[in-house]
Amino acid sequence: MNPVFRSYLVVLVGLLVVAGGLLAVLRFGFKKNVDHAWKAYRGWLIIIPLVFTALWFGRLTTIIFFTLLALGAFSEFARATGLYRDWWMTGIVLLGIAAVGVVSYVDTPVTGEPGWYGMLMALPVYVVSAILMIPIIRDRAKGQLQPIALALLGFIYMGWMFGHLAFLANARNAYGYLLYLLFAVPLCDIAAFTFGRIFGRRKFRPNISPNKTWAGALGAFAVSMAFPWLVRFSFPELGTRELLLAGVIVGVGSQLGDLSISVIKRDIGIKDMGALLEGHGGVLDRVDSLIYVAPLFFHMIRYFRGLG
Amino acid sequence: MDEWRYQPTEDFDQAPIERLKNFPRHPDLFVYAARSLTNLVIRGLMRVWHRLEIVGRENLPAEGSFVMVANHGSHLDAPAMLAALPLGKIHRAFPAAASDYFFTNLSKLVFSAIVVNAMPFDRKENPRQSLALCRQLLDAPGHILILFPEGTRTLDGTLGKFKPGIGFLTAGTGTPVVPCYLDGAYRAWPKGKWIPRPRKLRVIVGEPMQFRDYAPEKEDALKIAEALREAVIRTSHAPI
Repeated sequence: MNPVFRSYLVVLVGLLVVAGGLLAVLRFGFKKNVDHAWKAYRGWLIIIPLVFTALWFGRLTTIIFFTLLALGAFSEFARATGLYRDWWMTGIVLLGIAAVGVVSYVDTPVTGEPGWYGMLMALPVYVVSAILMIPIIRDRAKGQLQPIALALLGFIYMGWMFGHLAFLANARNAYGYLLYLLFAVPLCDIAAFTFGRIFGRRKFRPNISPNKTWAGALGAFAVSMAFPWLVRFSFPELGTRELLLAGVIVGVGSQLGDLSISVIKRDIGIKDMGALLEGHGGVLDRVDSLIYVAPLFFHMIRYFRGLG
Repeated sequence: MDEWRYQPTEDFDQAPIERLKNFPRHPDLFVYAARSLTNLVIRGLMRVWHRLEIVGRENLPAEGSFVMVANHGSHLDAPAMLAALPLGKIHRAFPAAASDYFFTNLSKLVFSAIVVNAMPFDRKENPRQSLALCRQLLDAPGHILILFPEGTRTLDGTLGKFKPGIGFLTAGTGTPVVPCYLDGAYRAWPKGKWIPRPRKLRVIVGEPMQFRDYAPEKEDALKIAEALREAVIRTSHAPI
């Protein structure tokens, strides 16, 4: 077993056991109402084994896993905005997202490197033109800008940007990078929540996400900056500059991702994007913080270290 | 600039499994794709394994809503009846299926809701409400309701008595009712057997009937049920 994979597995199993024990003590020892936390915990009991299983089987299953998440996230977005009623638009975006998965898996022509990076970068051109072609084929203009805009956002944001995670499966140190991100991003969320609860007074963005505070945001940033050093075993090849950048990317990107989806939810007037897992909402509610982080981290690593 | 108007789908805040329990179901791209694909595969398998043959397809009304009734020999019946319809129409065709049997666990629910597009029919507690739902379906244009008026699969291959529900549903309406005979379904997959046997399967589609001059009362409903039962028997003897 890959040593990085094993380390994360041990840590996560340990955390689940401790958290479960803590909940049990609070519930039965102190007779506290932990229903809400228990629902979230049950969700993690499904999510964490699922992630480890997908990654354990290797590159193909990892790519399929992230592609399915992207398809699920976009479908929720399409349902919530009503874009889903337009099957052609929705279908083209779904095909585009599947294409992100395919180009992440196939080798680069001529060089034979795993993953077709050039096509990943070029895909938005093709998908955007395919989306714009739909009203042209229908010969209809009235009311078309809204579905076009929603489909573009859906593909670029939930498909392509998030899809960079799937492409990271091609990196030599895929386990290190992916497990770091999958651990660091929820940790940033939890840190924001915890710091906010303890120190939070001034609201951060009250019209978008009324529970977020400046203290929470800054605390989460600080935790995210320190975290790469704590899990340095994940990527011994990275230097101080890259570790700093990883911290900034997670500390800023994950909060930005969270807030961006909150903007969409607030505008539509809904609380959650879906209801896949009780206590977690939909896929998009769970992965929103990863969306900015994925491409930023990917390009940082590719620029400084290369993937291979 | 004007605000955009969002219209979230009615089921956006439901878990995927919960969505399958809705009836009427909201149109869903994934479900339609899965249904088309599985039905295509099932048709292919039935053609190979059961040498499925559809006779009298020209008797199916080209447009408008109608009801198809047939004898009930096995679990192959609903997919076989769907196979008699063009693939594009299966999303608007609803075989009535016992809610106490087909909607009780996850695998049956997935099969009933996605593959067969079944309408949950409460044959025990509230058949009247289910009939009202059938009527509602038929009021919409282009819907096809598939009913097995015996109410359950045959135990010995013989045609049982038809329940009067079909009579209440169609009495005094112009809704065409198409009697069909499923030949070989019982031999292919009798109740209690685990897998279908490779026996010949034939769907014979009879001529549509209407019951405009009947009243939605018990007496007339029983007459309609009996008339349809006889029509199904006649269809079974139709020259092929």
